[in-house]
Amino acid sequence: MARVQAPLTRPDGDESTATLRAPVTLPAPGGPRHDRPSGPTAGSAWLLGLVVPAALVAAWAVASGAGWISPRILPPPGEVLDAAWRFAFGSDTRSLPGVVPFEGAGGRHVAASLRRWVVAYLLALGVGIPLGLGLGLSPWCRRLLDPLVQALRSIPVTAWLPISLAWFGLGEGSARSLVFLGAVFPVVVATADASSRVPATLVETARMLGTPRRALARRVYVPAALPGIVTGMRLGLTLGWMSVIVGELTGQREGVGAMMFAARAAVQIDQILVGMATFAVIGLLGDLLLRAMTRPLIRWSDA
Amino acid sequence: MSSALAVDRLRRSFGPVEVIAGISLDVPDETVVAVLGPSGCGKSTLLRLLAGLDEPDGGTILERGRKVVGPSPLRPMVAQGATLFPWATVRANLEWGPRMLGRPDPAAVADELLEATGLTGFAAALPRQLSGGMRQRAAIAQVLAVQPPLLLLDEPFGALDAQTRLRMHEWLRSLLAARPTSVLLVTHDVDEALLLADRLVLLSSRPATIAFELDVGLGDDRGRATLVDPRFVALKADVLDRVLAG
Repeated sequence: MARVQAPLTRPDGDESTATLRAPVTLPAPGGPRHDRPSGPTAGSAWLLGLVVPAALVAAWAVASGAGWISPRILPPPGEVLDAAWRFAFGSDTRSLPGVVPFEGAGGRHVAASLRRWVVAYLLALGVGIPLGLGLGLSPWCRRLLDPLVQALRSIPVTAWLPISLAWFGLGEGSARSLVFLGAVFPVVVATADASSRVPATLVETARMLGTPRRALARRVYVPAALPGIVTGMRLGLTLGWMSVIVGELTGQREGVGAMMFAARAAVQIDQILVGMATFAVIGLLGDLLLRAMTRPLIRWSDA
Repeated sequence: MSSALAVDRLRRSFGPVEVIAGISLDVPDETVVAVLGPSGCGKSTLLRLLAGLDEPDGGTILERGRKVVGPSPLRPMVAQGATLFPWATVRANLEWGPRMLGRPDPAAVADELLEATGLTGFAAALPRQLSGGMRQRAAIAQVLAVQPPLLLLDEPFGALDAQTRLRMHEWLRSLLAARPTSVLLVTHDVDEALLLADRLVLLSSRPATIAFELDVGLGDDRGRATLVDPRFVALKADVLDRVLAG
């Protein structure tokens, strides 16, 4: 045993590397992320991203104030901000039948859109990840289904709208089906791609260590493919959110998109812009949340 | 006499290219056999066949009298480059085999191997946080955790610098001395073969056949000093001549 110890206590070469890299300095899995300088925690670097938007808003304010832009084309920023305030905090006028409310209805619209998004997105993950693994891991499954998946994913979500309305009618079913279709294909394609690229040596090592064949998907393929799967999940989340507005073309009375279509009918540009900003902010927050939730799972693959 | 592995007239071709042309060799219990040969001669192909990761076109591979079919924890292979699971901690990597095989107390097995590999302080680290030498030790420890009667090593230290490699040779000798494990080591490094092996098998260039066999006979106490031992130097000159002659 003395011989076992000898090279390990020697303070030179490889073993000094060991002492230099004291375990204390290692970010433990699940511990704080070792951020690169460009990461969001690196000082105030993220403020830089606000410079261009702020300049654009300033230019917009100047152009509106000088009367260069008709308020019927683009109302001044103050008015849009005011509309946003009323959308969020205005006194909720009891809505009349057939009328999509705006004043104080922000919470209701956002909640309706979020519900559609989350329900359909979870369904898309439930279908997309297993289907993607099937395509990535089984040549049979790939030959059988890949052409169909490739063809279907070429159809834009808007092109599904008529058939969706015909099948599900006006209502929640068609809205959710469209969000599902928007979200599912990126998940399928990314999962199939990532799982088909898992290095053979990892699978062979797992087999030689006694991992049963039926456990390989869960123990090796899924963890190894997870960084790629997460990328697909992020794309699917964003594309699903973009499809929410298409889903809300199906005669919804609640939802951010429904509000925007009502605002267009009433020629309320400020309200349309509030809807667009709501989409942008929620989409961004959703992606940040998903990244925060998945980061601990794929930290091992950080560059 | 019982053999950890008995290979008889093994053949393997890829399309029209014959890679292994009738190799017979024996790995007796608790011996280290080094297979030495020029690059591209089919050493890795041979090892994959023995590991059960590939099927021969002809000949037999017997493992203690039983025919080899498919990969098995009885003769795991450590391939070139690290084969650790990159998302799992060093400890989880070492516990992987014992856990999968339902062995008692995988944590204790891992503790012992962490100690023997000098990685106790790195149990919670991920493979990418280790240096090349540490990663290679962990990869060997990972397969030793299933207590295999035979270990297959494919150029295990090929990617390391010369000094680290020498340390790894000394480390591996001490590690194996405490275990009843036979080793079949594939390498192109003559020093490595003569430092580690009890028996040396030299392959011809492709298609690979056995060109020459040799009992190393340098004793059990081999290390950095062996490199300047006249017997080692003479052996090395002889083996190098044969390797370079092809």
